[in-house]
Amino acid sequence: MGERKCYVYLDGRAIGFVEDGKKFAEEIRKNRRVGAISGEVNVAYRKGLNEIRINADRGRARRPYIIVENGASRYTEDLKEKLKSKEIDFNYLLRRGVIEYLDAEEEENAIVAINKDSITKATTHLEIDPAILFGLTFNVSVYPEHNSVGRHAISANFIKQSQGLYAINFNARYDARAFVLYYPQAPIADSVAYRKLNLSKHSSGQNFIVAVSTYYGYNMKDALVINKSAVDRGLGRSAFFRTYSDEERRYPGGQQDRFKVPAATTEGYLGEHAYSKLSDDGIIEQETPVAEGDVLIGKVSPPRFLEEQTSFGVVEERSRDNSVTLRAGEEGVIDNVMLTETTGATKLVKTRVRSVKVPEVGDKFASRHGQKGVVALIVNQADMPFTKDGIIPDLLLNPHSLPGRMTFGHMIETIAGKAGALSGTHFDGTAFSVNGKERVDMYGSILEKYGYDKFGDEVLYDGRTGKQFNAKIFTGVVYFNRLWHMVSLKLQVRSRGPVQILTHQPTEGKPRRGGLKFGEMERDALVGHGASLLLKDRMLEQSDKADIWICKDCGDVGYFDFVKNVPVCSNDGGNNLEKVEISYAFKLLLDEVKSMHILPRIKLKSE
Amino acid sequence: MAGKDKVSLNVAPGEAVGVVAAQSIGEPGTQMILRSFHAAGISSLITTKGLPRIIEIVDARKRPKFPMMYVTLQSSIAKKYENVRAVWREIEEVKVSSVLKSFSEDLRAQTMTLELDKEKLTSYEITPRFVASRLEKIPGASVSQDENAIKVKIKREDMKSTRTAFVDVRDASIKGVPGIPKALVQQEADGRFYITTAGSNIAGVMEIEGVDKTHVYSNDIFEVMRVYGIEAARNLIAHELYDTMSDEGFTVSFRHPSLVADTMTHVGTIKSIGRHGVAGEKESVFARAAYEETVKHFTNAGVFGEKDMLRGVAENILIGKQISVGTGMVKLAIKKDDLKNVKAKE
Repeated sequence: MGERKCYVYLDGRAIGFVEDGKKFAEEIRKNRRVGAISGEVNVAYRKGLNEIRINADRGRARRPYIIVENGASRYTEDLKEKLKSKEIDFNYLLRRGVIEYLDAEEEENAIVAINKDSITKATTHLEIDPAILFGLTFNVSVYPEHNSVGRHAISANFIKQSQGLYAINFNARYDARAFVLYYPQAPIADSVAYRKLNLSKHSSGQNFIVAVSTYYGYNMKDALVINKSAVDRGLGRSAFFRTYSDEERRYPGGQQDRFKVPAATTEGYLGEHAYSKLSDDGIIEQETPVAEGDVLIGKVSPPRFLEEQTSFGVVEERSRDNSVTLRAGEEGVIDNVMLTETTGATKLVKTRVRSVKVPEVGDKFASRHGQKGVVALIVNQADMPFTKDGIIPDLLLNPHSLPGRMTFGHMIETIAGKAGALSGTHFDGTAFSVNGKERVDMYGSILEKYGYDKFGDEVLYDGRTGKQFNAKIFTGVVYFNRLWHMVSLKLQVRSRGPVQILTHQPTEGKPRRGGLKFGEMERDALVGHGASLLLKDRMLEQSDKADIWICKDCGDVGYFDFVKNVPVCSNDGGNNLEKVEISYAFKLLLDEVKSMHILPRIKLKSE
Repeated sequence: MAGKDKVSLNVAPGEAVGVVAAQSIGEPGTQMILRSFHAAGISSLITTKGLPRIIEIVDARKRPKFPMMYVTLQSSIAKKYENVRAVWREIEEVKVSSVLKSFSEDLRAQTMTLELDKEKLTSYEITPRFVASRLEKIPGASVSQDENAIKVKIKREDMKSTRTAFVDVRDASIKGVPGIPKALVQQEADGRFYITTAGSNIAGVMEIEGVDKTHVYSNDIFEVMRVYGIEAARNLIAHELYDTMSDEGFTVSFRHPSLVADTMTHVGTIKSIGRHGVAGEKESVFARAAYEETVKHFTNAGVFGEKDMLRGVAENILIGKQISVGTGMVKLAIKKDDLKNVKAKE
């Protein structure tokens, strides 16, 4: 194959040829930088294929770079000063060809230096800030460059789940679920992205005094030990809001729901006590303490099926209770009630229940470095370890959670927080802003200035015995988030409870007060152990045991006639039946088999 | 329990050995990678390994994806490389196509001209004459040979069958055991040589002089059954399962794969575990319906009036009866009514 001319594609369509592709691309770039061609045009020269790809369509992800020419950044000190004094702005730099946007394809042609020092002769572009390589979400975190990559994603997930001041107007909002931290704090160490997003005004955590120490085995495997007095002072305390809403729905035939205190004759009446907190309009009042089983919104609905005409000709107005009750296992105070109407011009009620969530055993906390833990023990302040100055940690983090996860950022934050707390300053933890060693030295010198160990280690004394610990313990201040996974919203038990109508088996899930599934693999385990009676207990006695009458003559299923006090075979009408104990699921299976025109017959044999 | 051997006494009566075997193989099986990488070694042959191999065995596939054999040699020659090499030459199958340099076909004259590669011929130690003599065995072929050129004339009725005959010529086996495209000579730690082969043909290898007929190993279960019988196939299944597991680094007690092998072969033929084999041929309608193809089993039961005696585990869990495994096996020997006649001693 001889020398082929260079193909030119515009938005993926071939439009012609050029002799020298590389030169052509350079020409386009030169024109774009002086403004002759729109800055939204990107051009890429593919060397291996010898073709030019020009893209000017929408939907390309692009990011800005500083242009480098002959080994020198176009963003000069002079421009930097002017930008600082607001004489010029970012758009000025764009127009003057100092900064340009590249798309993914053109980026393949660029040689980008991460910072000014690494610019070589071949360099074509310079990153505006090295921190940009992490993207916005990770840059909200501090010292991300010192953490293991996997921890970033985990940390981002935890921040999503953290409780804080999610909206200033939370009082006027009716979110289905909401958590508001009582005393949110701004972190001592933050970053450029954190400040630019103004997150300290919506912060979602608190600065905890953390000692990296064990505590009698109570913080093994990501468990946490927290200080009871700190909790009493408001550490991690938050309010939980849940909105219950209901509307007066209209039904075909002119019927509609009504908000009211249901009459005792209503179908499915929950008993006088359940409605006792409702006011006359059937809606609960503000600031009423409520507990499980209380009705928040009393509502009656028309019956599900049309009434049959009685012989008297007059149909009695029957109704069905359809009230909204507080969720199982929850309690609180009615925070607010709102009465409005829907777009369909029906009444709409929203009530918001508030409850205080004090940190307790089983609640989850996480730092900004993907270090999560569940509270396993709340210790009296007197029993916590303390320093010579009487500083008592809020939280004890197990040292084993650090080396394996390689979250060095967590440790740097510990001493940064400590130095900041001592000197009363905030520190910047933006990625790559300072070299790691310089950073640690800087914090260390501050600590030394205040008479502390420069590595953050402290002599601690055991609160229970008063004895000094054999080792110095790494202590500092870390910003922790309280996550919305809390035991009080998850804990569930069942010994007796509702069953499903179809199968007569226990229901599933917390809202239905359900049981825990005894599944196939659990069944196999019992078979494998030969535990036949335990298996029978799980699969029959504690599940869907049923007494079924079986005809001794025809083998079909019958029933017991309580009027005549005899069992009756529904197949041959005889009375020669035997009561057999089987699982209701089997009776259901027999019914389903019958529905496919197969008649199963059961032949009984006495043991 | 008199007369039973010691091993069988290690299991208590009523122990659910099947479930324990299934769990003991199944649990480490979940950790096996579906496509395990086999190291591309020079002197080793490709075989299926890991989970795919276990699935292959348990599904009772008619032929493994990569059949192979270990051929042990008679002890008189096993230590002499030259003699082993001679046996190897007898085993590896050489086809006409593998010694061809070029060929041309003339469909009208029904002749095919083959030009043999001299170098390849010498490496296989074959003369052009020998090739020609083999080709003469093809029905309707007349062969003339001149040095490295061989002319084959084939009488066929139409052009299409002539074409296929030409392909047959190139595919014709010159020497070696059919079905063994590659064989390798390998050495044991004690210096004895043995031969591993890709492809399996036990009967063919047994006929070769120098092969120890009593020690030919193949991983083709069905072939082993045909040649050596069902007991050998059972042992092969058990050992192949055990070996593939231990190759992956899982230690399983041998009795578990052994039980699997027994269930697969106890009827005298090899049955797969699953819908088409062991599980699909259970006695109980409910047990079969509980596994797979529920509707099919119920309709068939209805059509043929099947009876379910409710003896197995699955059926009894379904109806809610105590299962006859473990503690549920024990039954009272005295009947309830007889107890009334028993009088306590004063």
